[in-house]
Amino acid sequence: MATVPKVDVGTDYKEKYGFSVPEDYIFKAKRGLNPEIVKEISWMKKEPEWMLNFRLKSLEIFRKKPMPNWGADLSVIDFENIFYYLKASDKQSTSWEDLPPDIKKTYDRLGVPEAERKFLAGVSAQYESEVVYHSLHEDLSKKGVIFTDTDSALRDHPELFKEYFGTVIPPADNKFSALNSAVWSGGSFIYVPKGVRVDIPLQAYFRINAENMGQFERTLIICDEGSFVHYIEGCTAPIYTTDSLHSAVVEIIVKKNARCRYTTIQNWSTNVFNLVTKRALAYGDATMEWVDGNLGSQITMKYPSVYLMEPGAKGDVLSVAFAGKGQHQDAGGKMIHVAPNTTSTITSKSISKGGGRTSYRGHIKMYPGANNSKSFVKCDALLLDDESRSDTYPYNDVDAENVTLGHEATVSKVSDEQLFYLMSRGITRSEAETMIVNGFIEPFTKELPLEYAVELNRLIQLEMEGSVG
Amino acid sequence: MPLTLETLETSVLQGEPDWLQKRRRGALATYERLPMPSKTDEEWRRTDISRLNTAQFSELEHRNGFKLDALSSLPRGVILEPLRVAAEKHPQLVEPLLFSLIKADRDRFSALHAAFFTGGTFLYVPDGVEIVEPIVGQHISHGGGTALLPHTLIVAGRGARFHYLDEYIGRDDEPASYRSGSAEIFVGEGAEVGYVAVQKWGRNAWHFADQRARLEKDARLRLFNVTLGGRFSKTRVEASLVGQGSDAELKSIYFASGEQFFDFHTLQDHQVGNTRSDLLFKGALQDKARTVYAGLIRIEKGAARSDAYQANRNLVLSDHAKATSIPMLEIDNNDVRCTHGATVGPVDPQSMFYLQSRGIPAATAKRMIVQGFFGDVLDRIPFEHARNLIEADLEARLG
Repeated sequence: MATVPKVDVGTDYKEKYGFSVPEDYIFKAKRGLNPEIVKEISWMKKEPEWMLNFRLKSLEIFRKKPMPNWGADLSVIDFENIFYYLKASDKQSTSWEDLPPDIKKTYDRLGVPEAERKFLAGVSAQYESEVVYHSLHEDLSKKGVIFTDTDSALRDHPELFKEYFGTVIPPADNKFSALNSAVWSGGSFIYVPKGVRVDIPLQAYFRINAENMGQFERTLIICDEGSFVHYIEGCTAPIYTTDSLHSAVVEIIVKKNARCRYTTIQNWSTNVFNLVTKRALAYGDATMEWVDGNLGSQITMKYPSVYLMEPGAKGDVLSVAFAGKGQHQDAGGKMIHVAPNTTSTITSKSISKGGGRTSYRGHIKMYPGANNSKSFVKCDALLLDDESRSDTYPYNDVDAENVTLGHEATVSKVSDEQLFYLMSRGITRSEAETMIVNGFIEPFTKELPLEYAVELNRLIQLEMEGSVG
Repeated sequence: MPLTLETLETSVLQGEPDWLQKRRRGALATYERLPMPSKTDEEWRRTDISRLNTAQFSELEHRNGFKLDALSSLPRGVILEPLRVAAEKHPQLVEPLLFSLIKADRDRFSALHAAFFTGGTFLYVPDGVEIVEPIVGQHISHGGGTALLPHTLIVAGRGARFHYLDEYIGRDDEPASYRSGSAEIFVGEGAEVGYVAVQKWGRNAWHFADQRARLEKDARLRLFNVTLGGRFSKTRVEASLVGQGSDAELKSIYFASGEQFFDFHTLQDHQVGNTRSDLLFKGALQDKARTVYAGLIRIEKGAARSDAYQANRNLVLSDHAKATSIPMLEIDNNDVRCTHGATVGPVDPQSMFYLQSRGIPAATAKRMIVQGFFGDVLDRIPFEHARNLIEADLEARLG
């Protein structure tokens, strides 16, 4: 029988992820957002002129776009009080030993180097605005796989970069994609050549250390025909009294017959606003899978989407959200069926406790011509106490012919019968509840690599610990 | 002559009590103040009203009531009058309730309705009174180019039991017109009310309706909405469960063909605990018809042990018909059971194949499948008179 460690939720996050190291930056841009800051970022990065112009144009778009009038309450974000660019190290390392000691210590404590040794094909570590560490198994680079940070990609692979950058999510897509386009820094760039399968996962770890920091990474993944890649990202930050902002843009192109899986374990501290735009284009018979776990942050608004561009394309979103005290997880997924004979599924599991709020927000759109397509959405929500809240907002628009679309959702509490059954077998109430919650999210955990599944189960156990007596 | 204060003064207000005149003037001011809903309003994003010009329909029909199929002898104490008459004769009952559930300032169309409503019924059934035979209000349109805005106000006292049917009738080929057909239903403690609304306006009509009920302790409402008419029909069906033990059943069938557009917004508002609501909207679409369904179950913080169900099923009979379905939940209490579901799909080819393999022609087979699709919800029509009527109407539509 599982023994539950006696740890409080908040304390544990603080010890494990919530520490910060003293700020000692090579370069720290001034607070606030204006063309000068944007020019400075671009100048620091020695970017080509087209990128500077792209940034400045995006800033104008950001200024013009209104804040979203739906979803979570974002009115408290003060865009002028944020540091948009922080550089902590003047060079990028390919060995953990070469990192500045503070940064190395950070990643050691987070266990990233150990994970790399054990089961990853490549690792990228972003500290504040810049990627500080990068490595990729040699055999993969020999096969032509590119796994680097997005800034280096702009420098080293300008043609590939320019062909795809900003094509999936243009700056004008929404206010936060415009903001990211103006001040982006870091992120991962992955290119998997035709027919190459990357069998073990690539990982990126995003870390915010400074207070009032804005992290705006930009990730671009291109899976060429018949290839496969699994990319995992993790993210944490220290607990400060004032808020930080994380606003990423992730663009993915999955070409014919290719498959891409993108796994996120979002565990930001509860003072981070996490407003992310993630979108993939899936071409003929390609498969795109988003496995999206949201545990941390104060507010998350994130709806990974797949545009099914050609016949036979398949999209999959598997989303888990856990909202504790003071948290609002507004997550979900979007499936845009553009071509005929495309299929999609969205499975969402959400858990609210201690006054937390989870919202599923989804959109299934079938454009004229996306005939004979199928989509199914299932959302289950578990409310662990009577202070918490759960919402479901599924939008289903069908403009195509002969399509099948289904949506189902349930909201419930931990069932008394299940509890009774387990407790009658001598399991304590708190263990029984933890088991039920772990069972509830099992469809999600079983999709994770083993090490992550174990970690997630442990996180859930800790989250649960605070709630039951 | 547009729908202005002048129209109101000359053709509506005369003979009405002061409080009602004042209320109508207020609603008109609200109407003039509110903007036209636009595509940026979530509720109207998929609902196109750009071709509607209300000024075209400034002639009002049914200013002095309508045909009311009342029983020759109603039980003692029951009041059944045209709404305008009741406003004059029973202000103590009508004044506090009229437009208290359906607020005039909700949007421009609610305001227009509250300012200009013509005719409609007031039904008051006192505590403990039961009426066996259904009461039928028929609203018959006499031609196009006009506005016809009936309003029904129903008050059920403690333990009262009765059935009421609103029928909205127009000729299919009438020229364009502006129609509404709203109902406010107050279901008192322990009362049981069956309410059915059948909308069969002409196929060129613009129809805007709010049907809203409020249920006290242990009250039971069985509401059934049928939408068949209009080129454009927007209906909000809403129930507020404010008393423990109350139970609202909200059912609807709709059949859209040609270029008809139907929009439904529903709300199951569980304000207190131990309440139950059960919603099922089923629609069939053919030709180039479009439908939008958006529904919300809201469980308020203290509403423990509530049980809510919501489903929208669409049967798409042609390649060019389009259905949108948005079933939403907002749950603020954990001790509840809530499920919802939505489907949009074509006729099952296997069922078609089966029927055709038995020698049934394709057209008949399709018709049988549609009848089967509506079958389970037709069984939920609260009283026989309405069931016969609706089955006949549906039969006629299926052709």
